[in-house]
Parts: sequence; C-alpha cells; structure tokens
Amino acid sequence: MRVRAVLGSVFASAAILAIGWQFGSATAASLQGADAGPASTPTPGPSSTPGSSSTPGSSPIPAPGTSSAPSPSPSAPQSGTFTGAVESTRYGNVQVQITVANGAITDVKALQLTDDGGRSVQISNRAAPILRSEVLKAQSAHVSSVSGATYTTDGYLSSLQSALDKAGL
Amino acid sequence: MVGVTGNTMSTARHPSSGGAHDRAHDYRRRLRRSDMLVTLFWASLAAAVAMFLAYGGTARFTSLGDSVTNIGIIAGLVGTDLILVMIVLAARIPFIDSTIGHDRAIAVHRALGKPALYLLLAHAVLLVTGYGISSGYNPVAEIGPLLAIPDMPLAFVGLGLLIIVVVTSLVAVRRKFSYEGWHLVHLLSYIAVLVAVPHQLSVGGIFAGGSVERAYWITLYVLAFGSIGTFRFAEPLLSSIRHRLRVRSVDQIAPGVVSITLSGRRLRSLHSAGGQFFVWRFWTGRTWWHSHPISLSSVPTDDTARITVRDLGNGSNAISRVPVGTRVWLEGPYGVFTDAGRTAPKLAVMVAGIGITPVRAFLEDSNIRPGEATILLRASSQDETYLWDEVLTLAKSKGATVYIMVGKRSTGPRGWMPASDAERGVTLRSIFPDLDDSDLYICGPTAWLDLVEAEARADGLPEHQLHMERFDW
Repeated sequence: MRVRAVLGSVFASAAILAIGWQFGSATAASLQGADAGPASTPTPGPSSTPGSSSTPGSSPIPAPGTSSAPSPSPSAPQSGTFTGAVESTRYGNVQVQITVANGAITDVKALQLTDDGGRSVQISNRAAPILRSEVLKAQSAHVSSVSGATYTTDGYLSSLQSALDKAGL
Repeated sequence: MVGVTGNTMSTARHPSSGGAHDRAHDYRRRLRRSDMLVTLFWASLAAAVAMFLAYGGTARFTSLGDSVTNIGIIAGLVGTDLILVMIVLAARIPFIDSTIGHDRAIAVHRALGKPALYLLLAHAVLLVTGYGISSGYNPVAEIGPLLAIPDMPLAFVGLGLLIIVVVTSLVAVRRKFSYEGWHLVHLLSYIAVLVAVPHQLSVGGIFAGGSVERAYWITLYVLAFGSIGTFRFAEPLLSSIRHRLRVRSVDQIAPGVVSITLSGRRLRSLHSAGGQFFVWRFWTGRTWWHSHPISLSSVPTDDTARITVRDLGNGSNAISRVPVGTRVWLEGPYGVFTDAGRTAPKLAVMVAGIGITPVRAFLEDSNIRPGEATILLRASSQDETYLWDEVLTLAKSKGATVYIMVGKRSTGPRGWMPASDAERGVTLRSIFPDLDDSDLYICGPTAWLDLVEAEARADGLPEHQLHMERFDW
C-alpha cells in the first residue's frame, strides 16, 4: 500500500512539473517571438518609473503627434521627439522616447520600464538613469549593459535603436 | 462517587464494528485516504516548483546571480508550501484526524518545521546573495536596497517571527517553557505566515495580478487558514455553546489525581468513541487562558461526561481545584486510539499511570468477545493504581485477561517493566503470546511508551497493529 502512495506521488509530481515546464517553454517562446513583432501603439500610461527622466513631474508627452516628419533623409539634421518601439521582456515592456535637436540626442525618456514585481521596478529605477547618461554621452545605442539589469538594458537599447531609426540618426 | 456511566450504551453505537470483514474494509479505506494525502502533499510541492518553471524558470539560469536568485525563489516557494501543509496538519481537520490520527499529523507537523525554516532561511540568504551578485554589492550591503522594496520589511519581520517559533519548538528549548507559554509563542506563527504574503505577491513576477498562479496560491492560504478558523475556533465555540458543559463534581481518586464529572446536554451527539480526547478550557480566572487535552475516562451519557486528570504541571494543578459550576468549553473529539482503528483479530492493551483514562473508556466502548483481549496494567506504586478497579470490572464483564505489574522500573530496554519481572525474563511476547495476531494499544508516559514501542517493533509488529497515545504535549 505504501508503494501506491510512492507511485502516486511520483507520477502526480512528474505530471505537474511537466505541465509547468511546458508553460514555461511556451512563455519563453512567445517572448522571443514578441521581440521581432511590430511595435504596438505607444502607451504613454503612467509607467512607474520615478527617476527615469531628468525632468521630474513632466506630464506624458503626446508622443504620436510629435513624432511626425518621418521622411528619412539621412543628411538633414533632425529635430523633435521620437518614440521607440515597445520591447517585450520577461519582466515587462520597455519603451523609450528621445528628444533630438539638430541631429543630437538631448534627452532620453523611458515611457515604460520593466515592472514585473517590486524587485523588477527597483532594478529599472537603478538602471534607467545610468542608461540615459551613457546614451547621451555615446550619442548612440552602443553602450555597455548595466550589470544586474540585462533585460532592462536590452529592452531599453532596442527601443532606443528603433527611435534612432525613426529620427534617421 | 465518580462512576456514572454504564456499559449498556456503548454497544448500540457500533452495530457493525467487530466483524473481521468490516475491520479489513475500514483499514483498506484508511490506507487509501492516507495514500491520497501523501500524494497530495508531494503534488503540492511539485506544484510550487512547477509555478516557477511555468514562469520561464529554466531560461533564467543564464548568469551566476540569476541562478542563485532562482534557487532562492524555489526554496521560498517550497518552504512556504511546507508551512501551509503544517498549518493544515495542525488544524485538526476531521478527515485527516480519522485517517492518520491527530498524533501522527502532529508528528509530521513537527518533522516539517525545521525543513521549512531552513528552506525559508535559504530563500532569504540566496536572494540577498543573488541580488548582490547581480548588482555588484556584497550580500550585506544588498539588504538595504532590498528593504526599500515595498512589502519587504514585513517579510523580514515574518522570517524573524518564524525563527522564534521554530526555535522555541525544538525539544531542548521547549522543555524550558510551560505548555501555555510555548503555545502563546506558537500563535505568532499565524502572524509570521500572514505578513510574508504581500512580498510574495508583489516583489516577484510569478504571482502577477490576475494569473492562475496567484489564484492557486491564495486558495492554498484560504484553505489553510480556513481550516484553522473552522476547526480550531468556530466549531469548538459552537460546540461549547451547544453542549453547555459545567463542572458537576471534582473527586480525588488518588494522590494528585482527580476525576472531574461534567454535566451538559446532548453529549451523545458529540459521537465520541471510547479512547478519544477533548481539549478542555475551564472558565475560571486562573485557568481560562489555557486549554488542555484530556481523555474521557468513561463513555459519556447524554448529560454527563467524566475526565480524569493527573497533576502534571501548573495548568492541570489549577484544573484539579476548579470549583463546582465552572463553565467548560471543549474542542473535539480527537484521536484514533479507538476501536475503529483495529486491524487484527486479537487485542493487546498496555497501560501505565494516567494512560489508564482513555483505555478505561476504550474498553467500555469496545465490542470484544470473551478471550479476545489481554490487558497489562503498569504502575510504579500502589498510589498509581487509580481506575484499576473499574478496568478490572470491565475486563471481567467482557471476558478479558488482565495482568498487572507494580514496582520500580528496571533499567535498559526492559525499563518498561518492574525489575523483578525483568529478572524473571518476562517479555512482550510472554505476556501477549498472540502478539502477531493482535492490535497493540499502548497508552502512558512517553518515556515508558517509547521502550514498549521499541520492543514491539523489534518483535516485528507491523505499523498498522500499533496504536499509541502518548501522555505529554
């Protein structure tokens, strides 16, 4: 009779673990697919990212309107704000907006940052100012990753790159 | 006069018990339920790990920091699951009680305490370390930022309380407390478990809002605390109000031993079987704040019940002096030291000291045929032979054989019997020649019982033929 308990436990546990594994693989696969997917409409909702912007208290900028002038003429220096694509990561979506003046990046604002749980929010809040200053210094998306914030960095820089592409930089 | 009950009531309540077929059938059913509980236990642990896997766990072992963090998360999930199982085991749910017995449920509860604490300590240490590796701080410096995350200070409080609860329950430490003091500290575990909930739901992403995992996890908490609320608080309260028990008389039957007769109403609807116990609370100024597990020492009638108490500690000392008319609350009946637990055709009963009380009620309630049962009564002196007269009368009327052993204990493995008997070469088998075909019911102080149990196991008595009730807490 004890054998039955052991077998029942082993099989039930194995089945449950297998189901969990399957769901985990599916989640990972869908996230990888989403990376290549088209950017959805910008959602300038209240992303909980205090400290990510250099202008505290600034209201969300009506991004779609201002990111006009999409004509990619690489020679002419651009000005205006450009919103990057939404990048899905395991810890939530990341989206940035850049301000460009005469072809130079003057500001990077995070519209969304990884926020899947309190720990994730903390990492985002730590990483965002570092990434912003690195980007402003390098004037490109070619900056080193912030340690301990790999997902945030990857999402941030990918979204940044798409914004740079829009700006023709 | 303390003997208020007759034998006639008991037989009518178990019209089907006693038959070998029913006994085997009941036993198989208990085994099925027991196997199911074991399976459920392991499945719940697997589910805790599966939730981590479903969150994409395996893809996240990419760096050292992440790996350490992830192992810490798994430790936290499994440890918390163990804690919830412990709460369920301590809730005295009738299904679990009647399947594996309250004492075994508590034994498992105790056995899980240290693993659960170790896992949760590992959870804290591994996460601080893992986070520290990721962000480049040393683990101690990481504690500061960690405390800045909402809900984390509460989680640390919970861990601190849990350490206190488990440490006070270690055998060596627990002895230094009175039962009541220990129990008050133990109640902190409810707070410890509850204050840890917010950080589980908010800090990580596994239990994200609206997820199946979150619903499942909260359901586990509702089940655990719902069981405690129902079976430890609501049900006893209603039962106490319904039965309106009061102390009718307190009679000293031996030095330091009293029989307390209680009057109440509709007591037969409690459906207590002989050998079960209740947890009693006596509403006097000195005793209302603690409760005590005490066996019925006879089968209750519809309006009276009797318990017999020995002065084992300050609490029961006070109980032996409660005035007549004191209001009494009860919780129960608990325990599987009953006729329903039998699996073998013959019956062997061993009793020492105050352990006589459940056996007295058990015999009264039991449907034994003449020659079926053998009883051994053990006392270290004549002062401890209380209720023996009643047991002898019962044994005579039911055709059971009774042996008695009185005298100072021997030493070593034969320490459960008097020195004179040990010298004569008496063994468990010489007292109970049919041991292999018998259910052995043992009831008495832990130290004595452990010796008897060791000899019974050494004799190869199967687990299901051993029935024990230890008189300690």
